[in-house]
Amino acid sequence: MSGPMLQSCRTCRHGWQFQRAACPACGAQDIVAAESGGGGTVWSVTTVLRAPLPELDMPGGYGIALVTLDEGPRIMCRSAPGLAIGERVQVAVEADGMPRAVPAGSELEDAGSG
Amino acid sequence: MAYLSGIAVTAFGKHPGRGPVALMEEAALAALADAGLPRQAVDGLIAGYATTYPHLMMGTVMAERLSLRLRHAHQAQVGGATGAAAIILARHLIAAGACRHVLVVGGENRLTGQSRDDALKILAGVGHPVHEVPLGASIPAYYALVAARYLHETGASEADLAELAVLMRRHAAAHPGAQLTKPLTVAEVLASKPIATPLKFLDCCPISDGAAAVIVSAEPTGAAAIRLAGWGEAHTHQHVSEMPDDLGLGAKIAAAQAFATAGRQAEDMRLLGLYDSFTPTLAIFLEVLGFAKPGEAGAAAREGRFSRDGALPLNLHGGLMSYGHPGVAGFLAHVVEVVRQMRGAAGQRQVRDAPLAYCHADGGVFSSHAGFVLERVA
Ligand SMILES: [Zn+2]
Repeated sequence: MSGPMLQSCRTCRHGWQFQRAACPACGAQDIVAAESGGGGTVWSVTTVLRAPLPELDMPGGYGIALVTLDEGPRIMCRSAPGLAIGERVQVAVEADGMPRAVPAGSELEDAGSG
Repeated sequence: MAYLSGIAVTAFGKHPGRGPVALMEEAALAALADAGLPRQAVDGLIAGYATTYPHLMMGTVMAERLSLRLRHAHQAQVGGATGAAAIILARHLIAAGACRHVLVVGGENRLTGQSRDDALKILAGVGHPVHEVPLGASIPAYYALVAARYLHETGASEADLAELAVLMRRHAAAHPGAQLTKPLTVAEVLASKPIATPLKFLDCCPISDGAAAVIVSAEPTGAAAIRLAGWGEAHTHQHVSEMPDDLGLGAKIAAAQAFATAGRQAEDMRLLGLYDSFTPTLAIFLEVLGFAKPGEAGAAAREGRFSRDGALPLNLHGGLMSYGHPGVAGFLAHVVEVVRQMRGAAGQRQVRDAPLAYCHADGGVFSSHAGFVLERVA
């Protein structure tokens, strides 16, 4: 499992997610790609019960969370059911390239049982 | 100096068979008549985009349709803030001496001109194409994320938010042009179909057909002079992923600039026209702009503060939530109602004296903010 990819500024150490050629904090252009460790805290979360397209609708809905990663950036993720604001989570990138947040520690249980 | 000299809004709801150009034409001609201006007097035009007629040059499309000879014409596009930003831009064109009468117009057949799924898909596209849209995010989902955070931070409840939907419906009942007028209760809002938690169907504004127009002029043209006294904008982010931690930051920056340029304060306002795409949009604006205490917008609405006879009447036409929301015309309808009230021409909806008003809209997900102070000077 890999963490979400971020960009990091080598001048001021600021980190962010959306692709940019210059640091949003200091404007420097010495930017490197950096993989997040995946640890973070839920900033907000919703369960979508009416999808923007009918083919995306799922029984019981699907979760979307905004997670503040420990490196600083806030990113949008799939959310495991039942996540709450303020909860510690682990974010990993799934096969389709999109990140998913699960309660911190539960990813280890999954690995153990699998 | 800039004045809001002409106003017009169509009924919102269904206008089958009429496209954006015809709807905007109707509103524009009515606004010209309201201002008492011949079309030759108009030398600037800012037209809103229309999702049912995506065009690169809506400004000149409308100039041609209305047979205007302009010194400035273009299409403005900042989502829900388009009407507010266009009015501010019209003021800047006048202040620069480039134009004397600028027509701001928006309208489309968002309800009958496309399928509901197409409408929702286009709207969801304001999200990030790589990092947000593929997660199945929708406009209600983006606002739901903000709403959940707002409830968490303030301790307000979903029932508090529902009060704002109830208030908008009550106000709409007094306006013959409103789309939704059936009385609504908090219990009905809470029991409505869940869309994206914590938002239910009745926390969301409808999709509508309709149009509205406002003429901004270098001098007043009618008996009542409604001056655009102060203006402010803020554009803090596009995507909710990069929204500032302070949910109200953009609104506060825009409003502070508007009040400073007007030489006024929030406490001076006697009437409000605030964007209300979702109940949390309205709650957050009321609270961060200083019109209600944090978490208490719903309670204040319940106690009558924002009613017609309250201390600070709000969206007396019913807002987006109940008058309706056909895109760019949605917020222009707020402005039309505020000006009508300030003129003392709102009939049975008329508030007691309202010499100062504040109007504010956001586009995207609290992304672009535009707000202005209106002052009656004659
Ligand atoms: Zn930097």
